[in-house]
Amino acid sequence: MENNIYILLTVFIPLFATMGTLAMARHNTLQRWTGFIASTMAWGCSLIVLAMVIDSGPQTYRLGGYIPPYGIVFVADMLSALFGVMVTTVMMAGFMYNIHTKEKSVGYPAFIPLFALMQTGLNGSLYTGDLFTFFVFLELMVLSSVAMVAMSDNQYGLEAAIKYVFISGMGTLFLLVGIAAMYTTFGTLNLADMARLLADGERELLARSAAVMLMSAFLLKSAVFPFHFWQPDFHTTAPTAVSAMLSSVIVKVGIYMIIRTLTLLFTVEAPFIQTLLLVLGIIGIFFGSLTALRTYNGKRVLAYSTIGQVGFILVAISWARLDTTGTVEPIALTAAIIYAFNHAFIKSALLMVMGLVASQSHEHSVDFIDIEGIGHKIPAIIGMLWFLGGMSLAGLPPMNGFISKFAIVQSGVAFGEWLPLGLAVGSGTLTLMYMFRTWQRVFQKKGEITLHLLAGYEKGDSPLAPAFLITICVLLGLYARPLVILAERTAIQIMNPEIYISAVNLFGG
Amino acid sequence: MIDVIYAAALGILFALGVFQLLRRDLIKSVIGFGILFTGVNLFFIAAGAFRGDVAPYTTNVDAGNQTSDPLVQAFILTAIVVSFGSYALLLAMVNIASRRYGTVDSDEVSNLTK
Repeated sequence: MENNIYILLTVFIPLFATMGTLAMARHNTLQRWTGFIASTMAWGCSLIVLAMVIDSGPQTYRLGGYIPPYGIVFVADMLSALFGVMVTTVMMAGFMYNIHTKEKSVGYPAFIPLFALMQTGLNGSLYTGDLFTFFVFLELMVLSSVAMVAMSDNQYGLEAAIKYVFISGMGTLFLLVGIAAMYTTFGTLNLADMARLLADGERELLARSAAVMLMSAFLLKSAVFPFHFWQPDFHTTAPTAVSAMLSSVIVKVGIYMIIRTLTLLFTVEAPFIQTLLLVLGIIGIFFGSLTALRTYNGKRVLAYSTIGQVGFILVAISWARLDTTGTVEPIALTAAIIYAFNHAFIKSALLMVMGLVASQSHEHSVDFIDIEGIGHKIPAIIGMLWFLGGMSLAGLPPMNGFISKFAIVQSGVAFGEWLPLGLAVGSGTLTLMYMFRTWQRVFQKKGEITLHLLAGYEKGDSPLAPAFLITICVLLGLYARPLVILAERTAIQIMNPEIYISAVNLFGG
Repeated sequence: MIDVIYAAALGILFALGVFQLLRRDLIKSVIGFGILFTGVNLFFIAAGAFRGDVAPYTTNVDAGNQTSDPLVQAFILTAIVVSFGSYALLLAMVNIASRRYGTVDSDEVSNLTK
């Protein structure tokens, strides 16, 4: 089988950008532009990968030419290619935001290399076909994001980073124990090879406990309800571009691995895990939305809202019928994929808009007590972007958020899951409440501002990046058809593990 | 016999690690973090010696002995590098925190409640 070089490029261009920008540590502007150009190239490569996957099935790249399962293999099937496009697009917007931002932390020589390293970890963990390589890329992503939060302008960033390393370290511990248990049982860590060995339905030794360990690690990484305690602090105190990435694409790596392991490896255990995910998802939706309602910080509202939105994705995953008894019902998984894809753009755009608001004053505050009524004194485009993003997150018609909510409702109706559907839709109105509460408080209310706003000649951050993301949101809402078709094809493909296994071509040249 | 030693050592390492991690002193917590990762590395070694515990030399393989799995040692090398990275990063951050707050008591370093 041909090696597809574009998979490798998507992962390695950011890595080369890391090294290159480290070499130009004294030239900050050059660093920012180099990072942006590299991320644009990675974006192009991920689009090519997606096009090739649509055209001719899953693509692979064998590192060093070794035959899997002996060597490491990168696999791009529909799921990883679609998530890869999502990640590279949002990361490109993040680099775009970094070009013009006034934040001090972005001016440090290590920031842009770390940002590029984070993208390496993200792309690598999506494309890898090997559990241990996944662990390495995941740690790359976590550690670089931690370093960036620790150097944040927000003085509490350091504390949040320490807290997160401890909790994420426990997640890593569970992941490693799960990996070791899988290796003891099967003698391999290649996803396709494990899937082949697991497919006969026999569960020997530690396979079940490995499933539990891996699942808890993934749930912790994507900040699902009982594992979320680090998330609001970590996402609030991060530099704007980083918090936009954390809350949108980094939590999706956990979601991606949950979908991947449920459909590929643990198809027999899936019904039990899905029941668990349904309960956690519903509690997460309520907890995230209700807490967002009584939070008084612009970024924190969005961080709690992420817990709720991840809950929606879990509910959709839990409805999928994965015990392949012949009939393929892709609608629930389709909804989960659409939701994950759309949410990344909405949430990163909204966090960047909050960053714009913060950049309008010298205090860089987004506490409601400070910024109440700031909307009348700052450029009107910020308020417009927030309004569009808020509509999208709440799921109102012309935006892509409506498409994802609609997909979830449709799959709930199709499976007759009335109680969870009612709970999910009911709490969906809470999203509307907390988004428009923020809109009213920040952009509508009239009042005195005690902050030192920028004077006439000073400029805040550029609204280009969030405008780019909101444009994508509008376009995905108006022309949702291509994404829905792609997500449906993805769901059909991943519900048949044979496609993935045969694409890796184990033991074969 | 070797299984019992592995199991006992793993239990002691995990117990010590969790105990240290939950201490109030942040530096002791970091040390607990390191001990826990050592425990995981030992678990990998135990996983490699699951089917046989003779050293994987070619002479042993030729003699028909069931050797241990050498691949886990490559895994551990990577895992050690990764855990070393997070350990160093964590110590650096605790160092800055101790200078900023004048203490490493985790009850004092807690201004995130707002």
